[in-house]
Amino acid sequence: MSERYSRQIVLQVFGVNGQNKLSKASVLVIGAGGLGCAALQYLTGAGIGRIGVVDGDSVSLSNLHRQVLYSTADVGKLKAVIASQKLTAANPEIAIKAFPCMINEDNSLDLLKKYDVIMDCSDNFGTRYLLNDACAMLNKPLIFAAVSGWEGQIAVFDNNEHGVRTNYRDIFQNQPGNSEIPNCEENGVIGVLPGIMGTMQAAEAIKLIAGSGQPLINQLLNYNLLDQSVYTVHILPAPAGSYKLPISYDEFKAIHYHPISLGYNKDVEEIDFEKIHDLIDKVPTLVIDVREIHERPSLSIKHIQIPMSVFDFSLPQEIDEQNIVLVCQHGIRSLAAAEKLRSRLPDQKNIYSLAGGVVRWYGQL
Amino acid sequence: MEIDIITFGKISEIIPNGIMSFAAVTDTDELKAILEQRYPQLAGIKYKLALNKTLIQENKPVTDGVTVAIMPPFSGG
Repeated sequence: MSERYSRQIVLQVFGVNGQNKLSKASVLVIGAGGLGCAALQYLTGAGIGRIGVVDGDSVSLSNLHRQVLYSTADVGKLKAVIASQKLTAANPEIAIKAFPCMINEDNSLDLLKKYDVIMDCSDNFGTRYLLNDACAMLNKPLIFAAVSGWEGQIAVFDNNEHGVRTNYRDIFQNQPGNSEIPNCEENGVIGVLPGIMGTMQAAEAIKLIAGSGQPLINQLLNYNLLDQSVYTVHILPAPAGSYKLPISYDEFKAIHYHPISLGYNKDVEEIDFEKIHDLIDKVPTLVIDVREIHERPSLSIKHIQIPMSVFDFSLPQEIDEQNIVLVCQHGIRSLAAAEKLRSRLPDQKNIYSLAGGVVRWYGQL
Repeated sequence: MEIDIITFGKISEIIPNGIMSFAAVTDTDELKAILEQRYPQLAGIKYKLALNKTLIQENKPVTDGVTVAIMPPFSGG
């Protein structure tokens, strides 16, 4: 066995047996950002036999504070390509493959089948729910982590010793809309946080593969960097019928995990308040306020209110009006609601979102 | 009665962490309703409750001194 791994082979609960298991294992890492950069370096160092790196993004300057595999000279280059070059240099004894593409309903199942353990290092709910559903369908271990601000979450979704397997939908049944939960761009993230969470993901993968310790199976660990506190909760399966997982390739493909990437946004027009008045005057137009009940100021124009929190199940069965205008406070939720509507209504309907929201046109609506 | 409320992420900005007093709460459904009344912004956010470190999947009785965690989903990476 290689001198490279001698310091971990001497560990009694790991040993040559543990190292052999790592060298025979394969891990697919989706996302080579903050979480992925950390996870990938330790998986590579530990000697996982085969590693796949999936990311369709290029390096940008604002990534560098947390995505520590990249240097300033890498700005503009493909993350998956640069990451796999640097990882191969760090450990040429293992096989690292770059997939410089976004994972989607078409390419994910074939790709996931080729790896033993799947690691969700992505940065958006579309990819997270896609990986969750695909891993549940294929019965692949999924190591999930996500960050926000100064806090992180990590969980391992796999069969426990009693054969019970939970998944992300047991915690959060439905995929939140694009604007419901702020991402790192909107909310910010301290650079070291995804480094810690990604390193924890690598630790869970190594434990899971080598059979060491107790991986966080069916548990959600919450980490707070500000006070270094950890709060772990047990995930129980949700009651039957709470949600539906796809059970076939066709069902999986029918779920649109990334509504924007499927082009619905091209069919949603962002408009100003003058255009709303213009539409109302000329053609039957339904204005829907998607703000929560408590949000002010109220609209003075004729409208109905369907708060975003109940939007999915409170829409009218039939909408007679030709034009539908979605309105919210800043124009972000209304755009997400418009995209949802676009995917459900026939193409003949015109769907609009008020750009800048009520705040921008204060006093004029 | 008193309940130890532990909040995470953006929910910490709406609901403070710590012991909170209630006139009477019998179960987690009632607790959710009271919290959403006290903190209306909570009603517009996706969140999950855990009672004494176990996720709540159906209405559960609440007794004095329990710990309730309120967790939102995170998407960042």
